[in-house]
Amino acid sequence: MKPSGYQLIMSAMFKGEKGERPPAGNPTSIACHDLMDVTGVSFPEAHLNAEAMAELALAGHELIGFDTVMPEYSVDQEVAALGADVDWGDRTMMPDTKSFLYADFSDIVIPDDFLERPSMRVLLDALSILRRHVGGSAAIIGKAMGPWTLSYHMAGTQNFLLQIGLGEIDTVKRMVEQLMPVTIASVNAQFRAGADIVVVADHATGNLISATHYAELLLPYHQELTSQIDGPTILHVCGNCFDRLRHFAEAGFNAYHFEWQVDAKRAVETVGDTMVLVGNVNNAQTLLQGTPEDVHREARYAIEAGVDIIGPECAIPLSTPLENLKAIIAAVQEGY
Amino acid sequence: MSNHLEIIKEAIIGGKHKDVEELVRSALDDGVSANAIVNEAMIPGMDVVGKKFSNNEIFVPEMLVAAVTMNKGLDILKPILKQSGSKSKGTIVMCTVKGDLHDIGKNLVIMMLEGAGFDVIDVGVDTSVDKLIDAVKQIKPDVLGLSALLTTTLPEMAKVIQSLEANGMRGEVKVMIGGAPVDAAYSEKIGADGYGRDAAQAVEVARRLIV
Repeated sequence: MKPSGYQLIMSAMFKGEKGERPPAGNPTSIACHDLMDVTGVSFPEAHLNAEAMAELALAGHELIGFDTVMPEYSVDQEVAALGADVDWGDRTMMPDTKSFLYADFSDIVIPDDFLERPSMRVLLDALSILRRHVGGSAAIIGKAMGPWTLSYHMAGTQNFLLQIGLGEIDTVKRMVEQLMPVTIASVNAQFRAGADIVVVADHATGNLISATHYAELLLPYHQELTSQIDGPTILHVCGNCFDRLRHFAEAGFNAYHFEWQVDAKRAVETVGDTMVLVGNVNNAQTLLQGTPEDVHREARYAIEAGVDIIGPECAIPLSTPLENLKAIIAAVQEGY
Repeated sequence: MSNHLEIIKEAIIGGKHKDVEELVRSALDDGVSANAIVNEAMIPGMDVVGKKFSNNEIFVPEMLVAAVTMNKGLDILKPILKQSGSKSKGTIVMCTVKGDLHDIGKNLVIMMLEGAGFDVIDVGVDTSVDKLIDAVKQIKPDVLGLSALLTTTLPEMAKVIQSLEANGMRGEVKVMIGGAPVDAAYSEKIGADGYGRDAAQAVEVARRLIV
């Protein structure tokens, strides 16, 4: 029997038996205007309505051919549930946090009904809808923000990073520590709602902080986090993270979703034996501005390098042409 | 005198934000001019900070604290510089383009530009083309700096340049662009005058564009 996309993804997630082709997946957003036009579902509805959220996610599997579905298109579901003022944007604008509730680094209050607040409820319901539609045929991926990214949203990115520069290390650690339960609750609730895998996005990127600071300030929390999570996880950190790949491999996540700045061959050589790798077709230059041939070439490079799951490097640009996304699928259909 | 300048320069590079005010006052007390402190200590100090950032020797937290240090020093010097009629190196309007609320990249560029002696007017994030056209009309900057973090918002940069052309203003202002999804090829494609890979390069571009 021909293995389903779900089987290919899950086997890859555990470094299991390879099928006749590599799986194609994107742990971050696949939402784009072409898919919105086909489904009739747009932003901000797809952030706020479970049916719309699920429908747009399904289109990435049913119309393009990805082996995954992932219904969260923002980075704001948890912070909205924590009480932050979120601008949910529109068709052309991604959501963003408008207010930073804990810019003064005071004690963080996690509401008792955090998982029942609308922005979390909608995500959990969307995962359950997807489970009913594609459970067993496509891998259902949930998404949660890690405590570092949540700190950006609670304190303001610049304010948070400045504390590191000022040497206020205890302040930084305290905020991360206080936000850990949010990530753990979100991830485990997504598994219970129907996710097969959850991606944890935690933007301790090489574009912002050093590998040394990652190891000192976040790695111990990631290790604690992964020990309390009930299923397979993918870490997503944008940007050039080559200098911290080995630290990521020590953090306890099953997989790492990486961007084009890290060469696929070097990534596989460095951590490919201990960690599943997902990625890394360039968004801005290749998927958005390139041709299907450019996309195909990059996807094949990743396959030949030994990347386990092939897909865009991050949430795709909204104006990405459908033909370019289909070129990823064409590349994986050619097999290993 | 040179000892004062070297110490202040090292304080900027090392982000000694608690010490810098005292160091600047001490230099002034010993007769070092405000101009010399800016041009021979602070600007060279921030240049070193920028180079270290470009080389991945330091990261955003260290750069932010260097900027905090510089600003504390500048707060003491600005009134003196104003009295002496010190001339700016040029005026730059900076923004993050429409649809993009990310400001850290823009802020780092502003800090570096101010550290290099430019007057910078920050018109904020999610800035519409119309708002920018108005800003250029009113402020008449030498350079307009456009920042974007999201690939979604890249096309906004092209729209700004097209609008400057449509309003017959393209010859009045140079345009420099930057941000994670931007590269030199895109800069050339949309007809920008310069592209900075990071905040340090943005200073180099501004220096080149304002002659």
